Amino acid sequence: MKKAYNETWVENLHIQRQAAIWKSKNLLTGQQEEEVKAQFPERFYRPGIFVKIGLFLFGVLACSFFVGFLSLFTFDTRSEAGFSTLSLICCACFVFTLEYLIKTKNLFHSGVDNALLYAAIIAAMVPVFLLFEHAPVWAYCLIALAIVVPATLRYADLLSPVAIFGLIFTIMAELMMKFPLGKALLPFAVMLLSGVIYALARKNKDIYYHECRQILEVLALVTFYLGGNYLVVRELNALISDLNVSVAPQIAFAPLFYFFTFIVPVSYVFFGLKRADRILFIIGLIAFAFSVYTYKHYFGILPVSQGLVLVGSLMIAAAIALIKYLHTPKRGISDEQDRKNSLENLQAVIAAQQLGATPASRGLEFGGGTFGGGGAGEAY
Amino acid sequence: MTTKSILNSLTSKGIISDQQADTIASFEDEQAFSIHWELRSVLYLGILLFSSGAGMLIYENIDTIGHQVIIAVIALITAGCFYYTYKNSLPYSHEQVSNPNKLIDYVLLLGCSTFLGLEGYLQYQYNLFGTRYGLAVIIPTIVFFLCAYRFDHRGALSMAITGLASWLGLTIAPLSVLADNDFSDGKLIIPAIALGAVLTAVGWISEEQNIKKHFAFTYMLMGGNLACIAAQIGLFSHSPKILYFLIGIGLCCFFIYRARHAQSLLFLLMGTVYSYSIITYTIFDNLGADAAFGLSIFYFFFSSIGVIYFLLNFKKFLGIKSGVKK
Repeated sequence: MKKAYNETWVENLHIQRQAAIWKSKNLLTGQQEEEVKAQFPERFYRPGIFVKIGLFLFGVLACSFFVGFLSLFTFDTRSEAGFSTLSLICCACFVFTLEYLIKTKNLFHSGVDNALLYAAIIAAMVPVFLLFEHAPVWAYCLIALAIVVPATLRYADLLSPVAIFGLIFTIMAELMMKFPLGKALLPFAVMLLSGVIYALARKNKDIYYHECRQILEVLALVTFYLGGNYLVVRELNALISDLNVSVAPQIAFAPLFYFFTFIVPVSYVFFGLKRADRILFIIGLIAFAFSVYTYKHYFGILPVSQGLVLVGSLMIAAAIALIKYLHTPKRGISDEQDRKNSLENLQAVIAAQQLGATPASRGLEFGGGTFGGGGAGEAY
Repeated sequence: MTTKSILNSLTSKGIISDQQADTIASFEDEQAFSIHWELRSVLYLGILLFSSGAGMLIYENIDTIGHQVIIAVIALITAGCFYYTYKNSLPYSHEQVSNPNKLIDYVLLLGCSTFLGLEGYLQYQYNLFGTRYGLAVIIPTIVFFLCAYRFDHRGALSMAITGLASWLGLTIAPLSVLADNDFSDGKLIIPAIALGAVLTAVGWISEEQNIKKHFAFTYMLMGGNLACIAAQIGLFSHSPKILYFLIGIGLCCFFIYRARHAQSLLFLLMGTVYSYSIITYTIFDNLGADAAFGLSIFYFFFSSIGVIYFLLNFKKFLGIKSGVKK
């Protein structure tokens, strides 16, 4: 799929950001950072978040009244076929405007393009709902996937991975719920699918989809955990079996789910720390908190107030102990706010660069070249 | 795209030497995984859970503990917070004071909150201020204003502005302006506009005179929103409409003009959205129902495209040099 936004600029944007980080850590000089900006330019229109919000709001307004505007000229909007045609025409107009604005105005997720993209996807979906009225849910989801996946590949929008993820899971749940065995195996299927999506997302190294990949990772990790969480499985099991009881009954394979509830957050945290993966680590912490809640929900004996005091003091104690323990970095983990290279280091490197043999000889070449060229071009 | 590939492209363009690239690469390699913010979050969350649990415990056992003890404890915490803040604060200056000790910001905020709680408790239990509610509100307001300027704290400033507005018979906080205040009573609108305008003016003056320049944003944001919303409600439901229209449009022009200097383009958005709704309302109100219906589709379509065009090119229109970020 050809990418809508200028790929080189996306890469340059990334390089510039990295250079800014290195500058703040005293690894580059200010002059070098300026040079990076000059050598790796990007001319995307990226206004602040507030202007983006304004652009998005007015973009949505313009799109919706465009539909009304067009419907004035078409004779027949009452019938389903007529409205579908109108919707498809709108979709084409939105996509055209989107492409035109991206090309001429250098937009890059600037609000208007997001609004136009969403409007185009919705406009493309309307005929599907109107023309196939009694199709099963998974069929709608498949058609939606056929629209959203190419759109994501082309525009790398941030909301569309969420949509794709939701659609895939809806299709799977819909298909599995049809069979009694499918219902029983649903948690494992959720975990398996999340694992596959996570692995596929990790494989993608393209910087163009960097944010999309992160979003998919977060979602996959969360559903993987929830798929194995005892509380979620037990309550949802009661829900989909239509049991009208106040306490959800015990589930099959309960010990296995106890195990998952405990081991998944722990391994998230462990591998997050080991591989220096912040997403994994933070989701592991949150999942751990939810596991504690799961335990409390079924086996808790303390009243709320005492439980809060206990948990709070445990958290305070653990945090303080770790802060003290990590006063000097241990096992590749540290408690530093922002590690900086000392300025002397940088100066030493720059000085070596300027005084060393290599730059000097290169300087000579440079001088000779310009001199000769200038002479040939102008004076003679 | 990895660190290595970025370094390669930097060296190939001759921006950094191989040696420096090696330094950066080894720095990145041996850099430990910092869990600073995660640990701090766990710590603050633990404090929050602990204190709410402790609060509930006290509430459950209020009969055995007694009010005096609780008041004494709250007073002690308040005094401790203010004392700690005062001890660790840097001397006053017109400029922004950046204290390396980040903790005092939180301590001051905690102190301000417990001060409010203490006062509320005294009023509730012992009816300290009787029915002189104004006095009860203006005391913390003054304290917060003093704290905000002395310790250079924008949170305390927001609390002080909120207190000032409550004192005027309003509760102003960005989200509850519409929810809590009964603007149907026309008496509140003019004071609200006046207070908003005064706050905006104070913000402007503090920027012009270079007295706590960074406070200007808070003043203008809170004052501006209050004044604009009050002016709009006046326009929608009271006469003379022309007066409210002029006030609202004037404020919006001021905000859009401010966007040239301001640190944030938030004012540009505020000015655009408020002026759009004011102008739209005025046009449709004067047209009458039938004409308005016919016009609406054209109007909204073309006007929103116009606004988008303005927002896409605002730098050109306002003469802002490129390089203004955020």
